[in-house]
Amino acid sequence: MNDMSFTERAVANTETKITARGVQVYYGENHAIKDVDVDILDKTVTAFIGPSGCGKSTFLRCLNRMNDTIDIARIEGEILLDGEDIYDKRVDPVQLRAKVGMVFQKPNPFPKSIYDNVAYGPKIHGLTRSRAELEEVVESALRKAALWNEVKDRLHAPGTGLSGGQQQRLCIARAIATSPEVLLMDEPCSALDPIATAQVEELIDELRANFSVVIVTHSMQQAARVSQKTAFFHLGHLVEYDDTDKIFTNPSDPRTESYITGRIG
Amino acid sequence: MSEHILSAFDRDLEAVQALVVKMGGLVEEQILESARALEERDPDLAQQVRDQDKTVDALEERINDEAARLIALRAPAARDLRMTLSVIKISASLERVGDYAKNIAKRSQVLSDGPQINGTAAAIRRMASAVESMLKDALDAYIQRDADLAHDVRGRDIEVDQMYNALFREFLTYMMEDPRNITPCMHLHFIAKNIERMGDHATSIAEQVIYLVTGEMPEESRPKSSSVVKTEA
Amino acid sequence: MSDASPNTARPVSRSLHHVDARTKRRNAAETRFKALGIGAIAVGITFLVILLSTIFMNGASAFEQSFLRVPVHLDAAKLDKKGNRDPADLKKATTFTYAPLIQQGLLDAVQKAGIETPLTKSGDMKNLISSSAAAQLRDRVLANPDLVGQTVTAEILASSRVDGYLKGRVKRDQVAQDKNISVEQLDLADALLKAGILHKSFNWDFIFGADASDSRAEQAGIGIAMLGSFYMMLVVLVLSLPIGVAASIYLEEFAPKNRFTDLIEVNISNLAAVPSIVFGILGLAIFIQFAHLPQSAPLVGGLVLTLMTLPTIIISTRAALKAVPPSIRDAALGVGASKMQAVFHHVLPLAMPGILTGTIIGLAQALGETAPLLLIGMVGFIATNTPDGFWDGFVSPNSAMPAQIYEWAKRADPAFYERAWGGIIILLVFLLGMNIIAVVLRRKFERRW
Repeated sequence: MNDMSFTERAVANTETKITARGVQVYYGENHAIKDVDVDILDKTVTAFIGPSGCGKSTFLRCLNRMNDTIDIARIEGEILLDGEDIYDKRVDPVQLRAKVGMVFQKPNPFPKSIYDNVAYGPKIHGLTRSRAELEEVVESALRKAALWNEVKDRLHAPGTGLSGGQQQRLCIARAIATSPEVLLMDEPCSALDPIATAQVEELIDELRANFSVVIVTHSMQQAARVSQKTAFFHLGHLVEYDDTDKIFTNPSDPRTESYITGRIG
Repeated sequence: MSEHILSAFDRDLEAVQALVVKMGGLVEEQILESARALEERDPDLAQQVRDQDKTVDALEERINDEAARLIALRAPAARDLRMTLSVIKISASLERVGDYAKNIAKRSQVLSDGPQINGTAAAIRRMASAVESMLKDALDAYIQRDADLAHDVRGRDIEVDQMYNALFREFLTYMMEDPRNITPCMHLHFIAKNIERMGDHATSIAEQVIYLVTGEMPEESRPKSSSVVKTEA
Repeated sequence: MSDASPNTARPVSRSLHHVDARTKRRNAAETRFKALGIGAIAVGITFLVILLSTIFMNGASAFEQSFLRVPVHLDAAKLDKKGNRDPADLKKATTFTYAPLIQQGLLDAVQKAGIETPLTKSGDMKNLISSSAAAQLRDRVLANPDLVGQTVTAEILASSRVDGYLKGRVKRDQVAQDKNISVEQLDLADALLKAGILHKSFNWDFIFGADASDSRAEQAGIGIAMLGSFYMMLVVLVLSLPIGVAASIYLEEFAPKNRFTDLIEVNISNLAAVPSIVFGILGLAIFIQFAHLPQSAPLVGGLVLTLMTLPTIIISTRAALKAVPPSIRDAALGVGASKMQAVFHHVLPLAMPGILTGTIIGLAQALGETAPLLLIGMVGFIATNTPDGFWDGFVSPNSAMPAQIYEWAKRADPAFYERAWGGIIILLVFLLGMNIIAVVLRRKFERRW
């Protein structure tokens, strides 16, 4: 550890990866997201925090069009990935999701072997031409997910046999095996114990070098630990979006302050 | 600001602030008493001030413990975090002020035996009461989260500095008049210097209040009299 | 700083060793409920035991049949008048030529064994011998013309009266009015049994043979009906599994949720409750009268049963698909699988045990179904024997096991009664087998979970 400098907390990159403008989401009659504008930076961890039902997960799922699977969901406004509208008619969500990977709340490995779990994405997207190449991709994804050393001797054991933290890292490996540009994480640690959480958080910090990571979390401490930018959602509004340091020491909006200090709204 | 969902958190925050206020009261008293002991050449009162410092030190330790506990157990954020940090800093400042008062009391015991330097004790007492009122206002600003009052306190430090400079010249004159005055004047000078430092600490407390309320340390350098008095001899 | 703990008054604590009245009442209620449950299960088990033992006691005898071991002299003068063993000429000798030969052979055997009996004419033996015995012997001779002129020892089917007598169904005091058997003949049967000429052995013909006419209960078998059932199940499986699974996948995973799909869902559930005879009428109207498919054919029966099984398969498949955790779908979609890939790569394999169980239960239901078969003519006396070739089996008239059982049960001759019970045993064995397959498949696929 280099004790001469603090962890690089500052946002190193100012290149915008995802731009959202005037995003509205309706679930039937329910107006779930109200006019959200946000610029998500490349190679940065952005945390979405807010009370339950504030729309942070909903907004996250808009970013790779996972809401398409819900019939009653309706989305307005525009979300640009590298300047391209992801809700354009020409965009196939399947292609989009290869670029914008997702990790879910509960570790959900396929009931297949560890190898097959990671190899699935590259296989269906035809990313590799030979078996050897596929094996390489699997190994590199598992390495990036800091799981390789734990599983290299049992790649063909079922993924569901791993511990919770390992399963979640397997899911992260599965997501990064398709070499996405953005990684969405929907409360990735809520089902994990503190040690496994710390491992996943460490991994998220490492992933920042290569991906734009967006993480939804209920744990404000987790947002504070892993993110450089934090967005606070409340009742479907994006109340405040700023550097994480700023949000946690001196937020500008009283609603943000009430939330992060644990006060009654 | 409304209350915390976890009421025990509120109780902890209030308790630690109450300790700070209590400490502030003790320190204010120390300042005034030490100045009075000097003016009235009362070694017993001086001794009282010296003894009281132990209580102040113990309080500082207690406040540090409570603040550490708050950070460890409650993970305060934003305003709560700033409050916890400022409590630590304010209590440290108060403890230093208490030490200076103790030092003044100690010197006043020495001075009570020696010759009296005309008028200076009263001047020192005025300076002390000016500092005491700064400290009182800084603590009031803290209790009321009043950044304006804190700014005002910051501005008043210049007066104390000017008083110190005036005294400094006076002591120089006395010492040049009669070398026998050197010992008491040196003591008196240190006393004046201590009081001037107390003013600095009061200012720093005021700055903590501003940080606590606004989330930012005041940026512009605080008003100062023309630095150290030039020794034009 | 926790000096303000609320100091509310607690009720006086009582000993845990003392059980209060309220707790006692609750425990008593629980005990009563458990006793009721055990009672219900006991009643159920009792009825099951009674049912199974009745079936077994009544049906077991169908698996045994009485045979006479008789040396028959195949008189060349009678069977092959031209003497050149030409099969065409041999065929001219009808069963009426063979019957007296068998009767004579039995009489000879009786006399040789030294049994004293008032019956001394070969014609007196007629009632002891099954009327199908002659046909069986003729078939044997036609298959092997060299036998003509020799004396062969034949296993001759005893008549159903003799068989019934040995099994205790026909009593001596009942035969007075029976023109098919007399007391003397029963005496003879006893003597033959003692001499070892009359004996009982396992009845393979019951399991593999065809049905026989009303007067030949001793020859009736369920084998051809079993074949009919097999063909029907084949049709049901091949049609209803893919159609049912495809329909469920579409409805569950792809179809939009609107009034139209709601209507379809309600109707599928209702179809599962429609009486099976309604499906029979439907099959008669559509497949036979409209599409002109052959009557009594397992193909048509299979089609009708497919209609009947589909709702069961769709409902159970949808339940199995619903039971797959949505997180698996999310995971697949999250790595960029298309909806179809998500379903076929991940959801379907996980739902497989449930789907297979549902399918097999549906098949088992179809296997035991009688009512719709009545309407499409798959019930009745099946004269035809084994179909010519595999494909012919689908269209040649046939029956099915439950329909055959129903047919036997309604016939007058009590000899068919035991056949009906025996058929039920075979049917139950099949159902048990299918359930075991369901369990095995379930275990096998579940291991992958």
